[in-house]
Amino acid sequence: MAPPTPSSHRPRKKRKVAISPGSNNNLILDLGDGKQSPAFPLVSFLWAARAGVSQWLILPLVLMAVGLFRWAVSLWGYSGFQVPPMHGDFEAQRHWMEITTHLPLAKWYIYDLQYWGLDYPPLTAYHSWLFGKIGSTFDPTWFTLDASRGFEDPRLKVYMRATVMISEYFVFIPAVVNFLRRYTRIQGVHAWSASIALVAILLQPANILIDHGHFQYNTVMLGLVVASLDAILAGRMLWACIFFVGALGFKQMALYYAPVMFAYLLGVCTFPRINIPRLVSIALITLASFALLLAPLMAGASNADARKAFASSPVPPLLQALPIMLDKNSVTYGLLFQLTQIIYRVFPFARGLFEDKVANAWCAIHTFYKLARFDATLLQRASLGATLASIVVPCAIIFRHPRASLLLPALSAVSWGFFLFSFQVHEKSVLLPLLPMTLLLAGNGGLSKETRAWVGWANILGSWTMYPLLKRDELRVPYIVMTLLWAYLLGLPPTSFEIYRSRPSPEDSNAYLEPRTLTTLLHLGFYLAMIAWHILEAFVPPPPGKPDLWVVLNALIGAAGFGIAYLWCMWKLYTQCRQISRQITEEESQKKKQ
Amino acid sequence: MADLYPSLAQCAIVAAAFKVLLFPAYKSTDFEVHRNWLAITHSLPVQEWYYEKSSEWTLDYPPFFAAFEWLLSQTAAYADTAMLVVKNLGYDSWQTVYFQRTTVILTELVLVYALSRFVKSTPLPNKQAAHVASLSILLSPGLLIIDHIHFQYNGFMYGILILSIVLARKQSTLLYSGILFAVLLCMKHIYLYLALAYFVYLLRTYCLSLKSVFRPRFGNIFKLGFCVMGVFAIAFGPFAQWGQLLQIKDRLFPFSRGLCHAYWAPNIWAMYSFADRALISLAPRLGLPVNPDALNSVTRGLVGDTSFAVLPEITKEYTFILTFLFQLIPLVKVWFNPGCWDTFVGAITLCGYASFLFGWHVHEKAILLIIIPFSLIALKDRRYFSAFRPLAVAGHVSLFPLLFTAAEFPIKTIYTVMWLVLFLFVFDRVAPVPERPRIFLFDRLSLLYLTISIPLIIYCSLGHQLIFGWDRLEFLPLMFMSSYCALGVVGSWVGFMVVYFTS
Repeated sequence: MAPPTPSSHRPRKKRKVAISPGSNNNLILDLGDGKQSPAFPLVSFLWAARAGVSQWLILPLVLMAVGLFRWAVSLWGYSGFQVPPMHGDFEAQRHWMEITTHLPLAKWYIYDLQYWGLDYPPLTAYHSWLFGKIGSTFDPTWFTLDASRGFEDPRLKVYMRATVMISEYFVFIPAVVNFLRRYTRIQGVHAWSASIALVAILLQPANILIDHGHFQYNTVMLGLVVASLDAILAGRMLWACIFFVGALGFKQMALYYAPVMFAYLLGVCTFPRINIPRLVSIALITLASFALLLAPLMAGASNADARKAFASSPVPPLLQALPIMLDKNSVTYGLLFQLTQIIYRVFPFARGLFEDKVANAWCAIHTFYKLARFDATLLQRASLGATLASIVVPCAIIFRHPRASLLLPALSAVSWGFFLFSFQVHEKSVLLPLLPMTLLLAGNGGLSKETRAWVGWANILGSWTMYPLLKRDELRVPYIVMTLLWAYLLGLPPTSFEIYRSRPSPEDSNAYLEPRTLTTLLHLGFYLAMIAWHILEAFVPPPPGKPDLWVVLNALIGAAGFGIAYLWCMWKLYTQCRQISRQITEEESQKKKQ
Repeated sequence: MADLYPSLAQCAIVAAAFKVLLFPAYKSTDFEVHRNWLAITHSLPVQEWYYEKSSEWTLDYPPFFAAFEWLLSQTAAYADTAMLVVKNLGYDSWQTVYFQRTTVILTELVLVYALSRFVKSTPLPNKQAAHVASLSILLSPGLLIIDHIHFQYNGFMYGILILSIVLARKQSTLLYSGILFAVLLCMKHIYLYLALAYFVYLLRTYCLSLKSVFRPRFGNIFKLGFCVMGVFAIAFGPFAQWGQLLQIKDRLFPFSRGLCHAYWAPNIWAMYSFADRALISLAPRLGLPVNPDALNSVTRGLVGDTSFAVLPEITKEYTFILTFLFQLIPLVKVWFNPGCWDTFVGAITLCGYASFLFGWHVHEKAILLIIIPFSLIALKDRRYFSAFRPLAVAGHVSLFPLLFTAAEFPIKTIYTVMWLVLFLFVFDRVAPVPERPRIFLFDRLSLLYLTISIPLIIYCSLGHQLIFGWDRLEFLPLMFMSSYCALGVVGSWVGFMVVYFTS
């Protein structure tokens, strides 16, 4: 029937709702009689988008929504608020803005090291300089040299929070969005499923709580790593090197990823045939990026004023160890002094095996068998040996099979290895293994029950091990809200046990994507332990003489869980590798038949 | 077919998570107002509730709201007893903040319930539209800004209003609708603005026969009259007994206030003031007399008398007559369409419009009085929707000045922009084609209006400071916003009037 429509009367097209396959993700549950329901709450929030709504609409909405949660978390406390004399990470970052904007480059790494001396690599220093300059245009008193120490003002807090936000939206978020777009296309994952994974990844509680609550700029480093992965997927190895050097240059913690990146790039140059020009260009571009990174600081160290400043500062141990004697007035001396001082500041060899109570192997062993009895160098060697042992297998696999799809499990396994066994680990370092592991959600089958259960469990365990830290910063409420929200959206305990319930699907093709009994028991055990721990911590005072008992217990449970997460990533890497080699042999046999 | 995802409950959970994160956000003096009322109702005998004046924020809501505060205060004692001390002015320990903010979130469950009833009561072909409209109300930036940051209990009371509107849908529940509205009036008297629509609708649809005006249904008249009187008797009876009614009247209707509220609500009087300001510079050339006392009043935006320099003064009587007149016009249609629920909701909306646009001392918060009932019918067809669009933009943007602190700036703007993008897009997809052709010019103007909002918001929130600095011409952005919003609200009112009478 066609009514007499005037020109302004636009008949609307009725779009056919296409049900997307979701590629092994089981996002839509079939309730029978033609009714469908979303598999977990996050799917239902993007339910309307399954019929292929433009990314131009979904992406801004998602970015606004996750931005709102970030900003709301940032209204809460930060590390070191009203804790004189040293305050915390917030004051450290503010202090770096203060010194970088007021001092010549030569003094950045030697100025009053007792009070939050700069101990991050150069890119952080430049980043601080930039935001210090911008902030000074709003209010110069925020960053007056020395006088502004411990400055706390609501407007300064808003500015500092905004710098984290802006940095994240300029680095981490574009990197993740681009990476996911490419990665899901390679994996054959539907755009709708990719959007769901994007929300899950961007709402990862640990990242938000540390960066926007506790106050740090981890997402800049993580974003550069993701950008590097994106470049690898795109086949642009040189860009990958540049971004990765950027990540290392922002925060030395990116070293956790370095063995895999190195093995991968080396593997790409070796298999299937040795490619020397590629190797040389990768090496050159890496060196060039490092040189570029250091160039401003080196230029600042080359004049006479710089040498005067260096003369009044203790000589870095690395420079003392150099076998050659240098004239203290030569340009070379200035440059070497600056370089060795930066290295000395960035890598704190002089500190202990672990700090505070952190959920790694050393702290766990220390609880039962005091490690302090051993010599520091012995411990350092043991730590180095254990770390190498834990990462050698994934690195070897990645070297032999340099495939982009294996990168995420390999990166997770190696960074878990580092977290568990390496030297000087912070509880915040758990963000590093969590990132590649969480990115697995975007892969083929990534939102299936099995992967979602494991990734979700590791993330919740990760935030839980940071609870003692967050509690110190008055971030209890954001911790509870963000962790539970994430668990709720992804359908995880304690909000839902659906994920561990096996549903016989009609075609039964995805049985391997459902968690097995052992997984279920293991996860539920950990969830129970976490809840029980929270109840203990909140209501039962620790026994006299052992004030840290609950914190130690937290670290022990965490270490056990992270060990399991490490094994799972290894297993994931192994099965994916097997799958790929099987595919290759099948393809080859087909070719032979033809 | 009915894929109603995400469900109301899911949205409520995620929204609640966000609202909990807003606990430490800026809170206005309304927070202290409500704390003070908790203290008054908890520690004083009922006779003294409306006489207590230790704080400048005296109890000025009707008795049921006071009773509601009394109920809350019973649990407040477990959170922190110090907040219940009348003399503890400005007390805001974290327990107090957490407690009061939590009560706002929890009482909003009434709204969730009302909205789910609304979706359930809608017949199948329109269910999806009703679901989308409910989500838009639940996630409304207006409620977020006013209730969860600024601090008030609107979500709870609009929940009651919506429940009452939904109950008016069926002849069998009309009585409960009337009772519920009477209860609402005894909680917050601002809903008096909508009372006329209820009165006419209930009179025509419940008290008179649907077929003929001359056949009254005495049973119904008695039931309704008895129940409504009963509600008012419970609320005000005790106070009448103690001879406090005049005191309550003085508290509830403080007519010493000026025509415009602190920030200009985007109504006719804001435009009138704007015109007056503009005429000051033109007056000498036109040979008009200028009142010198008025030269420094409105632009400063202070509470109090607005005096006009060139245009004639507005008295309370004028505003009443205009409000009443413009409320009567839509009610004619309600009278002649007995039992038509859509017309009734349209009339409520138009009563809200009339009182917002022409009322005396209107708060910008009263915009919800229009937006929320309108949302229920905005998806009736695309003509309704195109009248709703400018209102959605102007109404929410006009709430921005309520929050002026730097930390809340991103929240109010990003949340509102997100809501507008999401819901205007979804509404556009869901709203059905109207039976009659759309009005071409109106549609285009509405689109133009939307387009202007983006540069204007950017200019007023950031651009102005960048161009003129922090303290030069600071009234300019506020004035632009206010006039822009007034234009939007008035435009959508005119548009909706046309749609209402032609459909």
